[in-house]
Amino acid sequence: MSFLKKYWAIAWIAGKSNLAYAGEVGSRMFFLTVILYIFMCLWKTTFANAGATNFAGYTPRDIIWYLAFAECIMMSSPRVTPLIDEDVRTGSIAVQLVRPLSYPLYRLASNFGEQVVKFAVTAVAAFLIALLFAGVPENFVTGFLFALLVLPFAFVLDFLGYLLVGLCAFWFEDTTGLALIYSRLTMIAGGMLLPLELFPEQFQVVLRSLPFAYIVNGPARLFVHPDAEALGMVLVNQIVWIAILGLAAAAVFKKALNRIALNGG
Amino acid sequence: MVMVMNLAVEVNNLRKVYEVHKRRGFFAREKTEVVSVDSVSFTVPEGQALAFVGPNGAGKSTTIRMLTGILTPTSGDARVLGFTPWKDRSKMAFQIGAVFGQRSQLWYHLPAGDTFDLLAKIYNLNPVEYRKRRNELVERFELGPLLDVPVRKLSLGQRMRAEVAASLLHKPRLLMLDEPTIGLDINARHQLRELIRDWNRNEGLTVFLTSHDTGDIESVAERVIIINHGRLILDDTVDNLRNRKEFAGMSLEDALAHIYGLEHDDSLDDVKKEALIV
Repeated sequence: MSFLKKYWAIAWIAGKSNLAYAGEVGSRMFFLTVILYIFMCLWKTTFANAGATNFAGYTPRDIIWYLAFAECIMMSSPRVTPLIDEDVRTGSIAVQLVRPLSYPLYRLASNFGEQVVKFAVTAVAAFLIALLFAGVPENFVTGFLFALLVLPFAFVLDFLGYLLVGLCAFWFEDTTGLALIYSRLTMIAGGMLLPLELFPEQFQVVLRSLPFAYIVNGPARLFVHPDAEALGMVLVNQIVWIAILGLAAAAVFKKALNRIALNGG
Repeated sequence: MVMVMNLAVEVNNLRKVYEVHKRRGFFAREKTEVVSVDSVSFTVPEGQALAFVGPNGAGKSTTIRMLTGILTPTSGDARVLGFTPWKDRSKMAFQIGAVFGQRSQLWYHLPAGDTFDLLAKIYNLNPVEYRKRRNELVERFELGPLLDVPVRKLSLGQRMRAEVAASLLHKPRLLMLDEPTIGLDINARHQLRELIRDWNRNEGLTVFLTSHDTGDIESVAERVIIINHGRLILDDTVDNLRNRKEFAGMSLEDALAHIYGLEHDDSLDDVKKEALIV
């Protein structure tokens, strides 16, 4: 119990600390409004030109709510790789390693607390904008509850991806490029720019066999199209990917610790 | 009656070699070995305040990091409070405190009190004992009015006092300080040294200090170990070092500079060097 308590306390303090960034919250809201407005215009034109009322089951209203939810996940994703980079480059990792803590779990807890707060704040604004542009979605309450069930796993999965990229700092020192590739993969292969259901069938098979689908598309799709079977499928895939990436991260961290050569001295 | 002296730190032939890869052409890389710590041996009795000093790149931080379990040595052995640091890092962490110069453990945007509360959970402190300990530290380190101020608004001196207090919350038996007064003004330095010295003398806390500031060494430490090029070149009490006839009339800073310089003086053979400094 005390094991969980300490990481819960880290998540709590990270969330609390994040509330201090009022300026960042404001700029995030502005960016979100612009992005959603652009996407809304694009999709309106697409639907009008195609003369369609829905694409793969997504009505214009569904699409806007899907985008709003997907954007919340993407924009709330904490930038953990620069932190790991800095920890390794400056030797600050020493501060964490002399405490009775696991560094990856410390980063997970801290990341989780931060993302929950960022998601909640972003969601308030995103939902208001989507409400204004598209009206109330169908099955809002069920969709919201289903999405809430899979969101924590999506956050953990997203973190593990970034952790693996960040741990490369032990070999490359600067992981900015890798982190950029990873975030773009999450955007495209995760279904933020375009719901996966709109991709050709063969692509969908490939994309659904990757973890990115369960970070963005899984929760966002459940939010607009809540379905018990889909909920189970998303949860199972998330848990399997968390196990795979978690084991990979543990193995990489163990190897990284052997390479540790802190700066200074 | 035989007095048994408990050892806080026991180091035997500790050695750390880094592999450095140098580029030779487009693809070829040459592997070279850099000896950072070279067969260092010493002991520190419990309750002693030791200054572990040397010029930049001498191997001080590498040694301190092996002793905190962050780095694994290439060879040799070390026991810290009965633990092998690199094998028992998590267990040992409950018994040691560490302050690494400008690397903060306090949450920057939150008051130091919040970090104290978090540390209480990380170290599984009993809530009643924690409150008692916190109040004691707050009083001794004069943190009362600062406890609710976000860390980013504290001066460096105030922040360092909070850092050291945070590292003492879980009642460590050994405190590792890596350049704790770096960047501090004279008053803040003086205040911090006094606090560390008091804690060492009154609470029996073993202090392992690395610093380039001779004021830190003279104020806090009773013994000094000098390391250079990874090798231990002097181990003596601070008083003895100050009173050595070859350093008569010199400040401690000049004496240290002289010792560091001797290591590079090729005109002296090894026997003469040994006679002068070890």
